[in-house]
Amino acid sequence: MAVPAGFLVISLLLSCFAATSYGVYFSSLKETLEVTASPTKGQVLKAGDDKITVTWRFNQTYSAGTDSDYKTIKVKLCYAPISQKDRSWRKTVDLLKKDKTCPHKIVARPYTASNNSFTWTVERDIPSAVYFVRAFAVNAEDQQVAYGQTTDAHKSTNLFEVQAITGRHVSLDITSVCFSAFSIVSLAGFFYMEKRKSKASQ
Amino acid sequence: MPQVEGSPGSSMHGVTGREPVLAFSVASPAVPTDTTAKFALPVDSEHKAKIFKLFSLANPHMRTFHLSWLSFFTTFVSTFAAAPLVPIIRDNLNLTKSDIGNAGVASVSGSIFSRLAMGAVCDMLGPRYGCAFLIMLSAPTVFCMSFVENASGYIAVRFMIGFSLATFVSCQYWMSTMFNSKIIGLVNGTAAGWGNMGGGATQLLMPVLFEIIKKAGATPFTAWRIAFFIPGWLNAIMGILVLTLGQDLPDGNLGALQKKGDVAKDKFGKVLWYAVTNYRTWIFVLLYGYSMGVELTIDNVIAEYFYDRFDLKLHLAGIIAATFGMANIIARPFGGFTSDFMAKRFGMRGRLWNLWLLQTAGGIFCLCLGLVNSLPLAITFMILFSVGAQAACGATFGIIPFISRRSLGIISGMTGAGGNFGSGLTQLVFFANASFSTAKGLSYMGIMIICCTLPVSLVHFPQWGSMFFPPSNDNVKGSEEHYYVSEWSEEEKLKGMHQGSLKFAENSRSERGRKVASVSTPPNTTPNYV
Repeated sequence: MAVPAGFLVISLLLSCFAATSYGVYFSSLKETLEVTASPTKGQVLKAGDDKITVTWRFNQTYSAGTDSDYKTIKVKLCYAPISQKDRSWRKTVDLLKKDKTCPHKIVARPYTASNNSFTWTVERDIPSAVYFVRAFAVNAEDQQVAYGQTTDAHKSTNLFEVQAITGRHVSLDITSVCFSAFSIVSLAGFFYMEKRKSKASQ
Repeated sequence: MPQVEGSPGSSMHGVTGREPVLAFSVASPAVPTDTTAKFALPVDSEHKAKIFKLFSLANPHMRTFHLSWLSFFTTFVSTFAAAPLVPIIRDNLNLTKSDIGNAGVASVSGSIFSRLAMGAVCDMLGPRYGCAFLIMLSAPTVFCMSFVENASGYIAVRFMIGFSLATFVSCQYWMSTMFNSKIIGLVNGTAAGWGNMGGGATQLLMPVLFEIIKKAGATPFTAWRIAFFIPGWLNAIMGILVLTLGQDLPDGNLGALQKKGDVAKDKFGKVLWYAVTNYRTWIFVLLYGYSMGVELTIDNVIAEYFYDRFDLKLHLAGIIAATFGMANIIARPFGGFTSDFMAKRFGMRGRLWNLWLLQTAGGIFCLCLGLVNSLPLAITFMILFSVGAQAACGATFGIIPFISRRSLGIISGMTGAGGNFGSGLTQLVFFANASFSTAKGLSYMGIMIICCTLPVSLVHFPQWGSMFFPPSNDNVKGSEEHYYVSEWSEEEKLKGMHQGSLKFAENSRSERGRKVASVSTPPNTTPNYV
C-alpha cells in the first residue's frame, strides 16, 4: 500500500512541476473573419464617453463550410505591443488560455456570416493604452476556431488609443485634505494642551 | 556604584527577546515586588510590571502593550496597503514593472533612516509622543493616495508612508519602560511579531474593502482610492488612542516626572565604535536582510504574483498572500523557542546552527515557490517559506544580545535597518526588472538567501566557538568576562562602568550548553570597586 501511495505522490508532484500544455494555440487559428472598428488610426478615445462601432463578417474568399462549426463570436479589446512593453501581465502567449493580450470583452454574439455590427461605449475601467480589436469565432465546446482583427499580423497598423479616467474626484480630494488636517490639528492640539497643563501645575 | 543608565541604545535593551525567552513572570525573590505600589499587576521597584498578562487591559502596563503593538500593526497595514491592490493601481496609473518595483523599494527605504532617528525622538519626547507623532503625521501621507495620478506620485507617496515603520522603535522603547527586564524578552518579541502581522492583514483587508466599495457603485479606479481612507483613519484613531489612553512611564508622563539621581551617560561615539568594529554586527546586518528583508519583499510582491500567475480573483490572491504575513503570530516566537532549545544542549553553537538551518530552509522553499506551476503546491511552499524566514528573524534576535553588551541598542538598530535595506535591494534586483518574470525573481531570491546565509558560519565567539570550530582553550581569552569587558577602556573600568557587562558575562555562561563546568576566575579581571 505504501509503494503505490508513494508513486502517486511522486507522479502528482512531477505533473505539477511539468507545464500543462493542452489547449488551443493562436498560431493554429485561421484569420477568416474581417473585422473593422470605427476609430481611425491614432484616434484618442475617452473612457466612459466615446464609442466604438465594430463590424464583422465572414471572409467569403474562404470556401463555404469553413464556418460550419462557428457558434459564437466574441469581440475583444486588445493591447498593442507598445502597451505590453515592460508589463508582463499583458504578455502575448501562443496558448490562448494563458494569453493576456485581449482581456477586455466588448460583446459576444451568436454567429452569422454577415451584417454584424455593435456599438460599444468604452467602459470606465479600461486603462490608458494603445489598442486594436479582435474577434474570435468559438465553437460549441467554447474553443476558439478562427479569428479576425482590425490590425495586421504584426499588430502595427490601425491602432487607436484610449485615455482612461483618472479615478480622482474633487469630493475625494477635499475629504482627504479634511481628514489630514484633522489628524495634524488634533496632534498639535493635544501637545499644546498638555504643555500648558504641565506649565500650570509647576 | 554608577550605572550606565540612559546610554545610547539602552532603551533598546530587551528588543532582542533574549532575556530570557518565554519567561512570563519573574519570581519574587529574584526581583523584589514593591508592595506599596497600587497597580493591577505586581511591579518591581521601578514600578515596571513583573508579569505579562496577555488578555488584560490593565492600566498602565498591559494597556501600553496593546496600544503599542496595535500602533506598529497599523503602520504595517498602511505601508503595505498598496501591495494587494497593485493589479488595479497599475492599470489606473499606467505603471510599468520597474515602476511597481521601485515603489516597493521606496516603501521600505524611508524607515531605514526614520528608525535610526526614532530612538533620539523617544529620548526627547517620550515613547508616547514619539509613537503618536509618527502615526498621526503619516496619516496625511496615506490620504495623499487619493491625489496620485502617475508613477512618480505613486512612488513618492509610498516612500512617505514607509517612514511610519519606525514605530517599531517606539513600540519596543515603550515596553521597556513598562516591563521588567527579565520578561521584556517575551513582551518585545510578541509585540514585534504581532506588529509584523499587519503586513499580512492588509493583504486580506484591502481587497475586501475594494470589493465592497465597488459593489457600492464606485468604478475600480476610484474604489481603490477610497479604500485607502481606511488605513488613514486607523492611523489617526490609533494616534488619538495613544495620546488619550497611554502614558510614558508607570507613574505618569515624561514631562510631569523629574529625573532621579545622577547617571553616568555613555558616550555615543564609543558605543557606535564598538558596534561598528565588531565584525559579527555586519554579518547579522547581512543575514537579517535575508530573513526580515525577504519577508518585507514578499509582503510587497506576493499578492500580485498569485493574481497574475494563477489567474485568481483579487480577494482570493489577497487571502493567500495574507497567510504569509499572518504566520508571524507563531513563526517568529517559534524561531526564538528553537534557538533556546538548541542553546540548552549545544549553547551558542546550537543557536548558530539553528539560525542557519531555518534561514536556509526558507531559501530552499522560496526557490521552489518560484518553480512550481500548480496553485496548491505554490501555497504549500509559500507557507513553508514564511515559517523558515520568520523563524529565522526570531532566531536572529536570539543571538544578537550576545554580540555586545555595551552596544546592544545600536547593533539591534543596525540589524533592523539591515532588514529594510535587504528588502529594498532584493526588490530592486529581482522584482523591478522587466527582463525576467516574478517567478524567476522568486527563485533567484531563494538562491541568494541560501548564499547570504552562509556567512553565519564565520561568526565565532572565543568563549563559545562557532558552527565549525570549538571555543578557545585559553583560560583568559576563552572567558565570557574577557569578551564583554574588552569593550571598556582601563579608565572606564576604573570608573566601574563595566559592571553591567561583568554581570551579563556571568549570566551568559549558559551559552556554553550542557557542559557549563565551573570556570575558574581568570586572572587580571578588574576587581569590583564599590
